[in-house]
Amino acid sequence: MSFEMWAEKYRPKTLDEMVNQKEIVERLKSFVKAKNVPHCIFAGPPGTGKTTAALCLARDLYGENYREYIMELNASDERGIDVVRETVKTFARVRAIGEIPFKIMILDEADNMTADAQQALRRTMERYTETCRFILCANYSGKIIEPIQSRCAPFRFTYLPREEHDKYLRYIAENEGVALLDEGLDAIYEVCGGDLRRAINTLQAAASLGKPIDAKIIYSIAGRANPADVRRMIETAMKGNFIEARKQLREMIQKYGVAGSDIIRQIHVEIFKLDIPEPWKIKLAEIVGEIDYRLVEGADEEIQLSALLARLIEAFLEMKTAAKKV
Amino acid sequence: MYQPWTVKYKPKSLKEVVGNKEAIQKLVDWIKSWDRGIPEKRAAFLYGPPGVGKTVTVEALANDFKMELIEKNASDYRTEEAVKRFAGLASQYGSLFGARRIILFDELDGLTGTADKGGVKAMIEVIQIAQCPIVLIANNAFDPRLTALRNLCLLIEFKKPSATEVLKHLKTICLKEGIDAEERALRFIAQRSEGDIRSAVTDLQAVAQGRRRLTYDDVSWLGFRDRQENIFTVLRMILYGKTCEGAKRAVNMADVDVDMLLEWIYENVPNHLTDPHDLARAMDALSMADVYRGRIQKTQDWGFIRYVIDLMTAGVAMARVNTKTSGWTPFHFPERIQTLSKSKEERGLQLEIGNKIKRKCHISATRAAKEVLPYLRIIFKNDVKMAAGIAKWLGLTPEMVEYIAENREKAAAINKLLGQS
Repeated sequence: MSFEMWAEKYRPKTLDEMVNQKEIVERLKSFVKAKNVPHCIFAGPPGTGKTTAALCLARDLYGENYREYIMELNASDERGIDVVRETVKTFARVRAIGEIPFKIMILDEADNMTADAQQALRRTMERYTETCRFILCANYSGKIIEPIQSRCAPFRFTYLPREEHDKYLRYIAENEGVALLDEGLDAIYEVCGGDLRRAINTLQAAASLGKPIDAKIIYSIAGRANPADVRRMIETAMKGNFIEARKQLREMIQKYGVAGSDIIRQIHVEIFKLDIPEPWKIKLAEIVGEIDYRLVEGADEEIQLSALLARLIEAFLEMKTAAKKV
Repeated sequence: MYQPWTVKYKPKSLKEVVGNKEAIQKLVDWIKSWDRGIPEKRAAFLYGPPGVGKTVTVEALANDFKMELIEKNASDYRTEEAVKRFAGLASQYGSLFGARRIILFDELDGLTGTADKGGVKAMIEVIQIAQCPIVLIANNAFDPRLTALRNLCLLIEFKKPSATEVLKHLKTICLKEGIDAEERALRFIAQRSEGDIRSAVTDLQAVAQGRRRLTYDDVSWLGFRDRQENIFTVLRMILYGKTCEGAKRAVNMADVDVDMLLEWIYENVPNHLTDPHDLARAMDALSMADVYRGRIQKTQDWGFIRYVIDLMTAGVAMARVNTKTSGWTPFHFPERIQTLSKSKEERGLQLEIGNKIKRKCHISATRAAKEVLPYLRIIFKNDVKMAAGIAKWLGLTPEMVEYIAENREKAAAINKLLGQS
């Protein structure tokens, strides 16, 4: 096993190594061949290879010393207009020395740039086209203002197909000497939904436990509502202990960072597995649905889910009373 | 002659002091230890909320042990010189024939920076050479200004006596004053006092002096003084409110903002509305209040705040149908606020780690902290070798390792490996 982040270790270094996004890679290769790159927008969900593609393109274009010709800026960290006016401009206007007359500016998470900063960028892109090309990576290209979009060649990245996702993870597991069970692989795909960086991080974290990787391990580390925890919370509610149930809820949210929407989805699943009269299951589901809706509208997940617990406790009580009467 | 009942019925002996038996025992043990020579701690630091009997205890102690009590409080200057003048007295354990001494520095919270310049420093010097017991009293022992002083002292915490203990004390007074008081009336005063005996006795005197009988109606108005009430009174108005108007009025009296008040209500609802139907109704009201908060965020229309307030106050008050109003249920500080303020301190470190990850992993520091850190946590908890490798690769400091591992032993093991490589 090697001791770095696997997501970096196994990040493709050249366009040839990139196994997916085939059409995109072909077009990028043609840029390398022509030794010319337009301004680009790489749009697509996280973990689909946007940054990797930009880095591979740069390496293929400039060779091993590619770092001297590029600059990576992360719009989530540096998103204001000052960054564009100072950092970006300073980099963009100085001509590169060498065979290729332009440098490349990679603006990661560009959809997080403020509108002001984007406006400022627009002129910069135009003015310094000779000396600098921009690659904007974003989850949603819609958040990039139109004048910029119209100056860029758009590339749409999609999730890896399941087979390629599996192949990649199996290759890493084998290389690192980690036992990855099929059910573990299924669970990774389910939890990470094709986001390869998350998948590899999940795999590495799972490997640190030193056991064959099964589904249970994956759920426990993925920050996903662990079905067992949710079930335990519902059981506490069935006993009528609100304060304890709320404590368990609080722990899931604060300690494990589980999202409220994830917990409520799991509650919904668990309700149909409960050993209660069938008609009650649908009554409970309706309660869950109402709170799920409020979760979207409200401001505080814990308060909404606590309200759900209180409603469930009430329903369980009514259920028991009804059972006695029969 | 008018005499405050707080003075008239002040305990003369430790036996009469209301509550805090443990604290009193600790103090007595310490005083007795002086008979065997100078103990390790020459001063005792009594701390706790106002009106729970700290000063009274020391006075009763001096009385019981026939000691001479020498006191300095906030009405005295406590500059360096003033305190040092005391030093002469403190350096003797009382003369051979005279009474032994206790020196009391009361109301340390009232020390001011300018008027009492050097006071704390002088007190420290006095304690270090003291030949007789010194007692310090403050509401908040953990005031940073008192840190050095605190470390020299035996710390004794005084807690709020329970409502039942306060009630007992009020009954004794009524008996001696010849007042026939309804239990419900006295309990109301006791609960309202939040364990502050002094205020309970003051309230009792205000409503009962000169009466033969005291009923609930005579005292119930006490709760409705329209001033900035403390959070407990406000919560009581909401959780035990009978009318929508009354519950809503509580918001204006609270000295916390609406969000914070909602947090207090949310924390305390389950302890005060124990009937499942009532609880579900109250939680539903809070859930809807929160929905309106969400609508404010979305629309930026603060007019919706009125519905937040309606639901969280009147909505909760009207939820009480089956739960009886009985006994004394304490209020809790919102647990979530404590964890929130803790994570504020952590945020800085988190971002620094995020920056380390960013440098290596081509992802923003913010996202790194959110998306990569949780995985590092798991690795650092399970695989020391892999953790050390990653820590080195990322260039993490030992402090960062400890933060990620959330476990001292694991962190030490990782840092040890790091040091070797």
